[in-house]
Amino acid sequence: MTFQEENPSGISKADIIVGIPSYNEAGGIAHTTEQAALGLKENFSQMASVIINCDNTSTDGTGQAFMNAESHGIPKISIATPRGIRGKGNNLKNLFRKVLDMDAKAAIVVEANLRSISPVWIRNLGEPLFKDFAFVSPLYVRHKYDGTITNNIAYPLSRCLYGRRVRQPIGGDCGLSSQMAGIFLKSPLWDEDVSQFGIDIWMSTLAVNEGLPVCQAFLGKPKISTTKPKDPALDMGPMFRHMVVTLFNLMNAFTNKWTTTKWSKPTAIFGVGISDVEAPPALKVSKDRLYMKFREGFNTHWDVYRTLFSSENLQKIREIASLDLDHFEMPVPVWARILFDCAIGYRRKILDRSRLLEVLIPLHYGMTLSFVNKTEGMSHHQAEEFLEDLCLVFEQSKPYLIYRWDQ
Amino acid sequence: MSKILVVDDEKHIRLLYAEELEEEGYDVATASDGIGILERIEEEEPDVVILDIKMVSSNGLDVLQEIRNKYYNLPVILCSAYGSYKVDIKSIAADAYVVKSSDLTELKKKIAQVLETTVPA
Repeated sequence: MTFQEENPSGISKADIIVGIPSYNEAGGIAHTTEQAALGLKENFSQMASVIINCDNTSTDGTGQAFMNAESHGIPKISIATPRGIRGKGNNLKNLFRKVLDMDAKAAIVVEANLRSISPVWIRNLGEPLFKDFAFVSPLYVRHKYDGTITNNIAYPLSRCLYGRRVRQPIGGDCGLSSQMAGIFLKSPLWDEDVSQFGIDIWMSTLAVNEGLPVCQAFLGKPKISTTKPKDPALDMGPMFRHMVVTLFNLMNAFTNKWTTTKWSKPTAIFGVGISDVEAPPALKVSKDRLYMKFREGFNTHWDVYRTLFSSENLQKIREIASLDLDHFEMPVPVWARILFDCAIGYRRKILDRSRLLEVLIPLHYGMTLSFVNKTEGMSHHQAEEFLEDLCLVFEQSKPYLIYRWDQ
Repeated sequence: MSKILVVDDEKHIRLLYAEELEEEGYDVATASDGIGILERIEEEEPDVVILDIKMVSSNGLDVLQEIRNKYYNLPVILCSAYGSYKVDIKSIAADAYVVKSSDLTELKKKIAQVLETTVPA
């Protein structure tokens, strides 16, 4: 795939790049660009830097808004996928190419619609790349009910599989060295889901499996975008599908790694000690809707569950479906085995793959409701501890997955 | 034989841990604070570090950050009399967190677990 480029300053080399992937983000990209420019000026002034907008040929004037944004003297380049080619992954693939073409040492990726981004984000995502780290994953302050896909699936599953505690493996913002960009660009594991929203879990998973040093950057602030915070009971967008499919595909690719991995190790954190730590905004959860969606899914998909889940799991799911809203609970070992069974079903092609995801979504709503019921009276830190215990259950349950994987 | 480096400013804790852990078959080295920790690690080459948090001359959470900047994968177990430090974000860079007790069962369990952990390089 080629890209169209607008490079008014004729920049051909840079030490550090900030890449901003976008599609129709005219309303937010100017703020992100200005904050990124301030971050580069304040923290990397000795280096040649450039900000690159990696766009999907937006139709709302994103390109123009980027080019008009204040960048405090930092040059800007705009690159775009050919018309009709969409996907965050495709935008980042273009960025990886630019990192190598421009002989850059490091790149920082920040999303285009960030309201809470500050120059500190650029420092913390970028500095570790000049201290031997190859990939920097973000660590935001998040509301306990924000990021349910991360909390229920991405974090516990990737942690128990690959043995690294990377808390926000699908955070969306990150830092990467040129070596890492080269690995991403040459990887044979690229596919259509990765070219869309699967890119975030794909990058995190490859990074921890390549054996290069990975760290987390504490960003101090919650991730607030120009879109409203989402009630976890709302319909799942395409991100759910792309992320889960990518996670399952990578399980096939890295079987030798995860089957020999036991327990997990922490991942270093860069940037703790930031003074302006902010509490995340409140998030309303519609428990009634979560319950209804779980029950509807149970009634609709029961026959499919019988082909997908082990008999012990089936019995438990039936029991859970009989619980009323206030007493609703999905025991963590059951949830872990549901995900493991889905991964096995995906591998064996027991179901059409899109059907399998359709079946998993109501169960994910059930797990979210269970998490809300359990952690309602808890502080942020208590909820984090609860989640750590949840991850430990996944790690303890892993022999079940290994045993059934090749059966 | 696995080697454990115990970093604690209280002498009786160092002696207790050394005695109990040696009985379990570990080789134990001790340090009375976190100053110069990287040199001690280089010298002793431990398989696990047990690190106190509230020490007179250093803060274990800062020492942990110092260790992590150089030794990404060295298992570190925070061992404090105070459970409250567990909510400090810096503590998540540790492999485990144990609240100090005269009964070392929990600590021994965590040591065994971190030594058993296998993560591909």
